[in-house]
Amino acid sequence: MTIENTMVSHRNETQMGMVAFAGAALAVCLICLFYLVDIESTASILGIEQLVDARVPNFFIRLVLLIGALVSAFILIINTAFYKRNRIVLAPWIFLSVGLTFFIVYVIIPIFTSISYSFTRWNGLRRADGSSTAEWIGLENYRMLMEDPNFYTSLWNNLLWLVLFMLAIPIGLGIALFLNQTVTGIRIYKSLFFFPFVISQVVVGLIFGWFYEPTFGMVGEIWGFFFCTEETNIVGNVRTVCSVDPPHILGEAKYATYGIIVAGLWPQIAYCMILYLTGLNNVSPDQIEAGRLDGAKGWKMLRHVILPQLWPATFLAVVVTVIGALRSFDMIATMTSGGPFGSTNVLAYYMYDQAIGEGVGRYGYGSAIATVLFAIMLVYISYFLWQMYKDEREGR
Amino acid sequence: MFPAPIEKASSAKQFAYKASLPIALFIWLLPLLAIFLTSIRPAADINTGNVFGIPSSFQMIENYTEVFRQSPAGQYLLNSLIITIPTMIIAVSLACLTGYALAIYNFRWAMPIFFLFIAGNFVPFQILMLPVIDMSNRLDVYNTVPGLVLFHAAFQTGFCTLFMRNFIKALPQELIESARIEGVGEFRIFWYLVMPLVRPAIAALAVLIFTFIWNDFFWATVMLQDASQLPITVGVKSLNGQFVNQWHLVSAASLLAAVPPVLMFFAMQRHFIAGLTLGATKG
Repeated sequence: MTIENTMVSHRNETQMGMVAFAGAALAVCLICLFYLVDIESTASILGIEQLVDARVPNFFIRLVLLIGALVSAFILIINTAFYKRNRIVLAPWIFLSVGLTFFIVYVIIPIFTSISYSFTRWNGLRRADGSSTAEWIGLENYRMLMEDPNFYTSLWNNLLWLVLFMLAIPIGLGIALFLNQTVTGIRIYKSLFFFPFVISQVVVGLIFGWFYEPTFGMVGEIWGFFFCTEETNIVGNVRTVCSVDPPHILGEAKYATYGIIVAGLWPQIAYCMILYLTGLNNVSPDQIEAGRLDGAKGWKMLRHVILPQLWPATFLAVVVTVIGALRSFDMIATMTSGGPFGSTNVLAYYMYDQAIGEGVGRYGYGSAIATVLFAIMLVYISYFLWQMYKDEREGR
Repeated sequence: MFPAPIEKASSAKQFAYKASLPIALFIWLLPLLAIFLTSIRPAADINTGNVFGIPSSFQMIENYTEVFRQSPAGQYLLNSLIITIPTMIIAVSLACLTGYALAIYNFRWAMPIFFLFIAGNFVPFQILMLPVIDMSNRLDVYNTVPGLVLFHAAFQTGFCTLFMRNFIKALPQELIESARIEGVGEFRIFWYLVMPLVRPAIAALAVLIFTFIWNDFFWATVMLQDASQLPITVGVKSLNGQFVNQWHLVSAASLLAAVPPVLMFFAMQRHFIAGLTLGATKG
């Protein structure tokens, strides 16, 4: 036997050992997963008295078992002759398996489940055997939506968000053009201008909510400067008298939505700005020079030379702005909770409110609202995907 | 470079530009400055109407310790970390695998699956909400941190895959081809050849996912109920109810919530921006 042969047979032996081990591990993991580990057993093994407290450890045990089963299954698969013959075909599926399954289970399937909920009347409860208590009512939820004035308010507000949020794109471009210089310290300015995007929307909502306060917020302060005087009455108490009362931006139905949108624009503008700043960085200097030689300046240069080259940035800015507008939830929840009188509801918030908010859990009705929102989003998603598909094909 | 470099303009213009920068920045960050000033002023200032002026005394340490003393802010911050870090690790590692599969192998399903990830990533949260709650309930992980992390990780895998796939696609493909001809196994190529090359992408994704999850409010509201598990975003909102008219404390708490992502951003700025612009830079 030559040395090479010994090495090969040695390698085969270790592989055989590994396969046997993986097979055993797979069997053990699966048996434990399906027959031995449940909440009761976890609780008794760990000596936990309340079953509720055993949920998290039980979950982790199951997770470890699942991962063990997966890994050993993969070891088995890649050692089969079938895999070795077809590895180029099979390998991508092994790489994809976990991530894709995870994504499909948590994101793709729920979309369809939600749509199916929308044809039922359900409060989210299940019977002891795990079956749903939902009752099929066909299109009833959608018929109710048609007659629900709050739904139309939400729809209208969603439209307002979509339209006004688009302002973030030109404003962001404006700021990017303003900052696209090379003076000392400009990098710090750029980062500081980007600042609002990094902060949580809840915090932005709180900041602006306080900003809009008519009595002691910024708005009240500015208003007071122009319209109010302080009077001291006979007893010596200071009283503020205003010729026109300061607007209570978040408290009045006609202003509240605009107030929230302005707050939402603040981080969104920062995002668009950063997209354009990086875009401007990549504009080809040759083309600018050529444009200059042709006598293009200022606005003309921007429109005919720069903007076409900024298209990837613009596309991305539109994508994130549309998504941001339709996802507006955090700010509404922090600033007005949909009020006053439901006037700042958008579909996203109204759905939450109906399904698990103050109400009694109208899962079916909430799902119908979510389905409408999804349908609106689908128009954009299809457009984005179509654009990306075209880019991909050109790229090949 | 566009617009024309300011260095070429007259010195008066240059001066005007340099002067306008701090003014513009001041106006832009005014809300933030105001809240910062409020967070370091004594409560008495707010009652006497000194809301935007110079604080009568600086109480930075007092106010911030007060927040920790009067509320479970420390617990909230810790919870945020407990939710954010595992999500970041799971989502980014899964995306390395899926992104690799979609970028390297030219199989028929590569494009449809890639588009599935992108499309799922754009979906409104509300259409996922009820089924995810129901599923978590049946998996016994509703109202637990692992339940929330699991969902976050699955959802963020979409975005991470999009980014990773584009990044790996831009690597020189000949490298992988030649390794294959040498007889290197697929998993070895992935681990020893591609992984070291995608480190910048991993860094970019890690900071982005950290920020996204740290700032998440919706899913934490929906999936967690016990006050002891809430992350800081939800915590700050409930503090807002608790500290009625104690704006100095509310603003201190809000700023605390903003600190970690801000630090992350400044520490990893280049990666952060590379992540957000998703290859619009390559244009």
